[in-house]
Amino acid sequence: MLPFVIRRLVGMIAVLFAVSVLVFIVFILVPGGDPAERMAGKNPTPANIHNIRQRWGFNRPFYVQYVKMMQKAGNGLLPGRHGEYDILRSFDTRQNVVHEIKRGIPATFSLCIGAGIIWLFFGILVGAISAVKAGRWSDRVITILALVGISMPVFWLGIVLRYFLAENGHPLFPDGEYVALTKSPVQWAYHLILPWFCLAVLFIGFYGRVLRSNMLDAMSEDYVRTARAKGIAPRRVLLRHVLRNSLIPIVSLFGLDFAAVLGGGAILTETVFDLKGVGWYAAQSVGGLDLPPIMGVTLYGSFFIVLFSALVDFVYAYLDPRIRPT
Amino acid sequence: MAEPATDLTLDSAALLASQEHEVAIVGRSPWYLAWRRLRRNYLALVSLVVFVVIVACCALAPVYATHVAHSGPNTVHAGEKVRVGGVLKDVIGGGSYYDAKTNQFVVRAPEYLGPTWWHAHGRFVLGTDNLGRDVAVRLLYGGLNSLKIGIGSALICTLIAVVLALLAGYYGGWLDWIITRFFDLIWAFPVLLLAIALASALAINGFHHFGINIQAGSLWIPTLVISYVLIPYVGRPVRGQVLSLREKEFIEAAIGQGAGPLRVMFSDLLPNVASTVLVFFTLIIANNILTEAGLSFLGAGVRLPDPSWGNLISSGQNQIQTAPWLSLVPGIAIVLTVLSLNIFGDGLRDALDPRAKVRIEH
Amino acid sequence: MTERRRWTLLLSILALVAGFALMLAAYGVAANRTTAAPKQAQKFGTLRAVIDTIDFLDPQQAYTGQSWWAMWNVYETLLTYKHVDGPGGYKLVPGLAQSLPKISNNGRVYKFTLRKGIRYSNGRALKASDFKWAIKRGFLATGQGVGFYTDIVGAKAYSAHPTKSGNIAGIIVNNKKRTIVIKLTRPRGDFLTILALLFAAPVPANTSTAILNGTIPGTGPYRFSSFDANRGFTMVRNKYFKPTVNIPRGNPDRIDVALVGDANAATQRVISGQADYSNGAIPPDRIANAKSRGHLVLRQTANTYYFWMNTHEAPFNKLKVRQAVNYAVDRSAMNRIVWGGLGQPTQNVLPPTYPSYVKLNLYNHNVAKARQLITQAGAKGAKVTVWTRQVSDAIDAAQYYTSVLNAIGLDAKLNSIPRATYYSTIGNIATHAQTGWARWLEDYPHPLDWFDVLLNGNRITPTDNNNYAWYSSKKTNSEIEGLKKAPVLTPAVNQRWAKVEKEIMQQAPWVPWSNRVFPEFFSKKIGCIHTQRLYGIDTLRLCRK
Repeated sequence: MLPFVIRRLVGMIAVLFAVSVLVFIVFILVPGGDPAERMAGKNPTPANIHNIRQRWGFNRPFYVQYVKMMQKAGNGLLPGRHGEYDILRSFDTRQNVVHEIKRGIPATFSLCIGAGIIWLFFGILVGAISAVKAGRWSDRVITILALVGISMPVFWLGIVLRYFLAENGHPLFPDGEYVALTKSPVQWAYHLILPWFCLAVLFIGFYGRVLRSNMLDAMSEDYVRTARAKGIAPRRVLLRHVLRNSLIPIVSLFGLDFAAVLGGGAILTETVFDLKGVGWYAAQSVGGLDLPPIMGVTLYGSFFIVLFSALVDFVYAYLDPRIRPT
Repeated sequence: MAEPATDLTLDSAALLASQEHEVAIVGRSPWYLAWRRLRRNYLALVSLVVFVVIVACCALAPVYATHVAHSGPNTVHAGEKVRVGGVLKDVIGGGSYYDAKTNQFVVRAPEYLGPTWWHAHGRFVLGTDNLGRDVAVRLLYGGLNSLKIGIGSALICTLIAVVLALLAGYYGGWLDWIITRFFDLIWAFPVLLLAIALASALAINGFHHFGINIQAGSLWIPTLVISYVLIPYVGRPVRGQVLSLREKEFIEAAIGQGAGPLRVMFSDLLPNVASTVLVFFTLIIANNILTEAGLSFLGAGVRLPDPSWGNLISSGQNQIQTAPWLSLVPGIAIVLTVLSLNIFGDGLRDALDPRAKVRIEH
Repeated sequence: MTERRRWTLLLSILALVAGFALMLAAYGVAANRTTAAPKQAQKFGTLRAVIDTIDFLDPQQAYTGQSWWAMWNVYETLLTYKHVDGPGGYKLVPGLAQSLPKISNNGRVYKFTLRKGIRYSNGRALKASDFKWAIKRGFLATGQGVGFYTDIVGAKAYSAHPTKSGNIAGIIVNNKKRTIVIKLTRPRGDFLTILALLFAAPVPANTSTAILNGTIPGTGPYRFSSFDANRGFTMVRNKYFKPTVNIPRGNPDRIDVALVGDANAATQRVISGQADYSNGAIPPDRIANAKSRGHLVLRQTANTYYFWMNTHEAPFNKLKVRQAVNYAVDRSAMNRIVWGGLGQPTQNVLPPTYPSYVKLNLYNHNVAKARQLITQAGAKGAKVTVWTRQVSDAIDAAQYYTSVLNAIGLDAKLNSIPRATYYSTIGNIATHAQTGWARWLEDYPHPLDWFDVLLNGNRITPTDNNNYAWYSSKKTNSEIEGLKKAPVLTPAVNQRWAKVEKEIMQQAPWVPWSNRVFPEFFSKKIGCIHTQRLYGIDTLRLCRK
């Protein structure tokens, strides 16, 4: 197992490095130009533009700029005092990027953990029901609803929910905004109900579909037939054998999806509901073509994706010794 | 447990496949058999028809614009009047204005002409937006753009992914290593984040490297960006399939008979992964339409004033109180299109290869 | 290991991970918590405001109206503007200075004396040298306002190589006598208003040149007590502040500002009673509804929205074409389309808030005449690209403008580019942009901030140009240069400015179309609402019902 772990760790670092290079290339080399002009404001002087270029190092060769940027990101992660230009800072707001991402984490985690619980629970429920009732009307209705859920743009659902439930007439829910859990747990949940639901809908539909087809496959497997032939109660067969084995792929799916939303993948939901999380921060920076925050959030997101896919592999290996790596 | 019914369920084709009498299928091509299964899946066929109708409607947008609505997608009708069911109405009524006499503003909500259905002889069927543009025309043109991007990026993405997968699977070794690492790299990005990062970087000056010249603001930018970020989602599973096929006797035999690499890849390997690719292709279109909508919503997709379903939703948000149809209608169009593709894709998968699984990104 | 145990273990690991994640979230929440201020049973209590966005809360960096709105109550300048409604708000009054300065040497030398006993919010006494440090700090920190101060003797040289120990020879301070003498290389009529800009607000000597949002002590009635760039900030009373005739103490004890970008959500907060005030431009279609659920105030600010036509690019190098476009635009319709009518149609460069404003009526809406002029100029079918910025109101306006150009016989198409690169693109001579969208919001109330920056041909630069029309007329240029020397805006000077404006508009380099007004939305609990012309809602003078 240990070599496997080490190999995965080395791979993780290599991928994160490559990700950072790619993002850097995308923003520095592709547009061709430095942001000094817009940083100098609407009434710039040539001297000031020159000074900005010097201070931020926009006049350096791109590989030097890359190394500097990574150094700055590292400095931002480390505690202690750093100079104005020694930390990865946003071009637009000059905020410490690492710090801003940290500030976004409570909202993002609250959104994702809540939505994750909802989608896992309802996804399994929906999938199990429709597998058991396969072919009946209830299955058909559930299946169509699940597909509708998969087919909806998440931000559109958000806009519609906001319009009907939070803005029009006598609203039932607050209109966006994140309230800290420590400030008021009740308000925290109340403000998050719509975003949770909105983010979960897509996954409920998807997990329901996957689980249903897994369970239907499992029902025709030999071990299930054997169990049934032995006279074990159908309900027990269903729960013990069919459902349990069909859940294994769900574990892997959940790991990857959860990593993606934690890593800023809930960008649309956060933007629609004005939840100032990590994804929201990235969306804000995109409009201003602000490289450092996008770089930071992308690395942060990639970190989660790489970490969770390694975790999923370990869990898999653990649950199913046949695929245990050497 | 009840036996599943044989019609109208989404996986009925799969069940049918297992029940097929061997006599009936002897000597038939797999494509014929798949069609036999598919045509009994009414829901999938209905979905296909719905999708084709939507595509046809959007493709006919210019015809609709000139002959029915008498308005282009960007034609401004603010200030005009239109006869709706015999009554002359303002395209945009109300609104605040500055009264020079009193030096005061008179504050009123603007009133946008709502859906006229057919009462205005085809004009403003779905109402108007804040500039007095015909929403129905913009919806169709927007659909055209969304579908162009969705289908175009699916084509490019599938093409590149399949070629890479064939190369990796056939040659193995260092080529496989490089291609797999490339897949891993893109896979490690949060999809939407990479897409908006790429799209907004390209939005400044377009792309002018390696002999490729794409202007900023071109539809090619979202198309290429979306196809690029989704390559591994098709490439990885196809490569897996190719790898296992590579070990099969008939490939060995082909190579033994002196078939060149190109020939093996394209006439022996490709037909065997074609069914999977086709299923992927259908579902990827659906997925890409959603991704395009998300990109445009964040301002990194199709550029206003050119419409797309995504940016129609987001620009309608400003008028949602008085003209909710501006955001609702394009959303419904997306749901219908994507839903029909998803249902059809499911049916196709069941008919072609009951065991294939597709991972849909959001 | 049995299968059951394996599953139990997996579940417990999952539970652990979830627990850990929750702890992390809780930690983050706790770390961000701001210290709760003690509730005082005063008349006003806390003002809860919702603002769309700010850039910085650092006087040498901030360059948006929203930031200035907040900072005006924290940082005082040598001269400031009166806290009154209406035209009086443009009047310069002494702030930190004892009186208006003594101007000598033909408007080249300004002498100020600071008031006695002024302290920063951290208790430190204000020194004359702090002013000099503030100007130096602007250059050192590459602030956005440094361009205003390069006419000070020695500032140009200093700006090329700013260092902490370097000197700007034209600023002579005496801490004992509390005097500040500023020498200019050439007379500059708007210099007093430039000194009233927050860029020149003194900060304690040797304040770091790093951007310090909301942590620099100021001399105003409030101080910042917390700051989060994306979420909001808080202002509380500065206990060292002593009110003067021109700077009152302020009614609210505390001002909580939340940053909400979504205008619908911001409006909803005021309606539902979560906030007292929102500055986020209410979407036009919510206005009628909002009016009945709170107080709606239409705030007039000095801004002009216009389309420029590049006088060096065909077909706009022909006067007749430029005039035709001016005739063709229906300015009231445009205001109605873009902002639901919350804008005043205009044909002037200057906004009506200026004393030199004389309403121009050169081009009244006349499409037939416009078509005729286009034909006469032989510009029928000329290809035109309209440039605009990727912001919804700019796109809407430019879309309408494009349709107008097409209606009079030009062949126009729209090109919208990202907001971050818009101005540097159109301000670059290599772009050869023909026509496009622009707006100007005043920095300080002086015609020079308009004519000199936007329409003086002598100030055209090949890159980062602000004169997007590339308009240059020898007569106008020399008149502007001459008016620069006039230190006071007397009625005679104002008349000359009005003449310059008319001359320019007869040449029609612009299509001005709107002076936008901003809907400010208050809850019903707020009693008196006051607006300061320059800085917006006057927080100090708000009161509860």
